[in-house]
Amino acid sequence: MNADLPGAALLLDGRRDDEPTLALAHDALVDGLAAGGWAVDDWLLRDDKIAWCAGCFKCWTTTPGLCAHHDGGREVAERWVPSDLVVFLTPVTFGGYSSQLKKALDHVIPVLQPFMRTRAGETRHPQRYERRRDLLVVGTAPAGQAGGPEAQTFRRLVERNTYNMEPTRWTTGVLEQGTNDWEVRVAVNALLAEVGVHAERDAVGMDAARDAIGAGRNEVVA
Amino acid sequence: MKAPQTALLLVGSPKPGESSSGSLGAYLLEGLEKHGVKSRTLHVAKAVRSDAAVEELLAAVAAADLLVFSFPLYVDSLPAPAILALELIAARRAAEDGAADPEAGPAFVAICQSGFPEADHSAVAIEICRNFASSAGLEWAGGLIMPEGGMLNSQPMSKVKGMMRSAVGALDLAAEALAAGRPVPDEAVQRMAKPAFPRVAYRFTANWGWRSQAKKEAGGTPLDAQPYG
Repeated sequence: MNADLPGAALLLDGRRDDEPTLALAHDALVDGLAAGGWAVDDWLLRDDKIAWCAGCFKCWTTTPGLCAHHDGGREVAERWVPSDLVVFLTPVTFGGYSSQLKKALDHVIPVLQPFMRTRAGETRHPQRYERRRDLLVVGTAPAGQAGGPEAQTFRRLVERNTYNMEPTRWTTGVLEQGTNDWEVRVAVNALLAEVGVHAERDAVGMDAARDAIGAGRNEVVA
Repeated sequence: MKAPQTALLLVGSPKPGESSSGSLGAYLLEGLEKHGVKSRTLHVAKAVRSDAAVEELLAAVAAADLLVFSFPLYVDSLPAPAILALELIAARRAAEDGAADPEAGPAFVAICQSGFPEADHSAVAIEICRNFASSAGLEWAGGLIMPEGGMLNSQPMSKVKGMMRSAVGALDLAAEALAAGRPVPDEAVQRMAKPAFPRVAYRFTANWGWRSQAKKEAGGTPLDAQPYG
């Protein structure tokens, strides 16, 4: 579909606790998506029992495309595949994702096929489905750390994910803890706009948003 | 970094039973033991399962001079239970102010193995481990990446020594350096990152293996099935 038209968004909410900036970012994402006319599948992962992916690869060989275990892990691919936009929300955790977000992401491999092919000079697994989606990754870091080493690692991780998930468009931003509600909202709306969700059309607000999340810290691949 | 008296292997694979990550870590421990280092092993997926197990994990971390963290690459990063273990360790060290004095804490070395033939896939995961060490106030002792982990297939390193010469040599070098209180040498990092097989041969074997396994197990469902299509 044309990603600039409202579609279905899957929000994988990897909050470990009720850290205020993440809560604000969550609300801003849900409100922004709704304002843009998107349907939101809002999944607070810590509330759900999702067993660790055991690396058994049965989703590749025994039940191709389906996690062999019947719990929330199987739902990840089921909710991922029909989405037009996937959003990750997480505290930046040593430069990566929280264990709560990762317990779901580890179950995303059924959307790939097991075979190994070369793409952009590296070995990758081909996508199982032709349907593509956009990817938005929002992290939070302690005050003063949005440009720190962990945030830099975080951006490299998101970029690596895009090599394997092959989103149509993607962007990422790191918000500093302590950012106020207005700044979080304009920052989140700016990020949403990068992936075709038009929740905020105020140019002044967009500029402020880009300042809030730091010039040059977001990347978009068309 | 001081010469360790004790080492704790944390196996980050969520797989129950034997794993390639466990095999690599165990081989490094054997090398350390040859130099007089006493060792212990915990599997993080079990160690984060209950409050009592978490306390045992945190006590074992506190008692070790060297932490060896061996894990498989999962979606460009560490598996979820491995991340949870690091979150718990960092939180405990912060609560006890252990993060304030890196030299008083254990040293930390990471081993990441992946099924890809290129080591680059795992570079970010090692970076995450390094950031963790910094955050938790642990002394970073180096990171090793082993590509083509599929060839190890959870076997003990003693069974595949000939095939995995490069990785074996790397782990021997790493054990010698770590036991002497030195970080993993660059030569070990480079040898570990060297694929055991040419990329084309490895991928041919892997693709044949997937097809062969599916033929036995999938009951006629094609490997490219689209259950949610």
